Amino acid sequence: MNFQTTYSEQELVALLLERNEKAFGYLYDNYSGALYGIVNSIVTDKEIANDVLQNVFMNIWRKIESYDATKGRLFTWMLNIARNAAIDEVRSKGFRDSQKNQSLSENVDFAGAVTAPAINDVGLKKVLTRLKGELRVLVDMSYFQGYTHEEISKALNIPLGTVKTRIRSALIQLRTMI
Amino acid sequence: MNVQEYISSGMVESYVLGLASDEERREFEQLCTQHPEVLAARTAFELALEKQAIENAIAPAADLKSKIFEQIGRTGKVVSMQPATASVKKINWAKYAAAASVILLAGSIYWNITLSNKNKSLQTTYNNTVAELSEIKKDIQTLTGNPNVKMAAMKGQQISPSSYATVYWDTTSQDVYLLINNMPKPASDKQYQLWAFLNGQPIDMGLIEITEKPLQLYHVKKAQAAQAFAITLEKKGRTDVSKPGGDVYVMGGL
Repeated sequence: MNFQTTYSEQELVALLLERNEKAFGYLYDNYSGALYGIVNSIVTDKEIANDVLQNVFMNIWRKIESYDATKGRLFTWMLNIARNAAIDEVRSKGFRDSQKNQSLSENVDFAGAVTAPAINDVGLKKVLTRLKGELRVLVDMSYFQGYTHEEISKALNIPLGTVKTRIRSALIQLRTMI
Repeated sequence: MNVQEYISSGMVESYVLGLASDEERREFEQLCTQHPEVLAARTAFELALEKQAIENAIAPAADLKSKIFEQIGRTGKVVSMQPATASVKKINWAKYAAAASVILLAGSIYWNITLSNKNKSLQTTYNNTVAELSEIKKDIQTLTGNPNVKMAAMKGQQISPSSYATVYWDTTSQDVYLLINNMPKPASDKQYQLWAFLNGQPIDMGLIEITEKPLQLYHVKKAQAAQAFAITLEKKGRTDVSKPGGDVYVMGGL
């Protein structure tokens, strides 16, 4: 017999602060797929994506004290940990793979890959494909590749103000799509 | 500031998705505390994002969960190496508390056993003391409750000036009791002998087998008549004990 317990977010956080393994198991069962989805949309290699997700859960376990409920929901916090971990992984791999530091503008990956939607695009990334080409590139670079607005501005040779405005406008559109 | 405009500016999404700059983030957090609408918009987008992410969930590797839990188990042991000090403290606290309660429990059990043993030993001592006390009471009753009891305080003689013993003689029942107040323990081949003196003649009152008990009252032979008492130290195993042969330790008249 397996009785599924459900926790409110508050209860879950309280139990995680006590390092309750049952609550952590519940967290994994309910959110690992959603977090793997976001990791997978950034890190395409399945094996690496699984390693990243493992680190994500280890960080959730270790750093639950740094979660501040006044700043957002638990899932939002976890989602950002997952996104950052995935981006860090891609970047470190990029450093390993390239002999020299490539400048952003020379990075072929970033102009190309996002404009043509890949078959395995799922979740947010799939939503992204519904954005107009230019906005899609901006959101992809900023959200899925973790570039700052300044970096994007330099890389695409668009004024910083325009990058900000366009990303905001893309986000407004995204909101209606999800 | 027009709050509605702010909400629809894309700032909410930017904040939730982690794309806002530090300055924008601070401003947004500030506005959340001031304007419930901003907070509501944030929560609404968070829920939408969460729903979207769960609907598009992809199952990670089947063995990942067990790997993670294995790693959690390991990190519990090497927890002091983790940089997240806050969480380290939390884990340590729980573990130390558990360890401390086990130690306390063990200590408590040990203490209970010790106390129980101590209690038993105290009970035995108490019983013995009560028995001794009742004997002494009886002795005192025997010696003082009867106006016919005469006392002879026997003082230390030249060979042992600090020695002291007392004889109580019940002249009606003729019972004689000897109390050794202070006398040296005799060598193993010697023993004390009590004498009654009547008209200068010693009468054997019995050999005294010294016990370790303090204030032991020895019930010796009956005496029909006596004027004085004395204790001598005699060799053990004498054939004729009717005459004193050794040194006189204490002597006293009635």
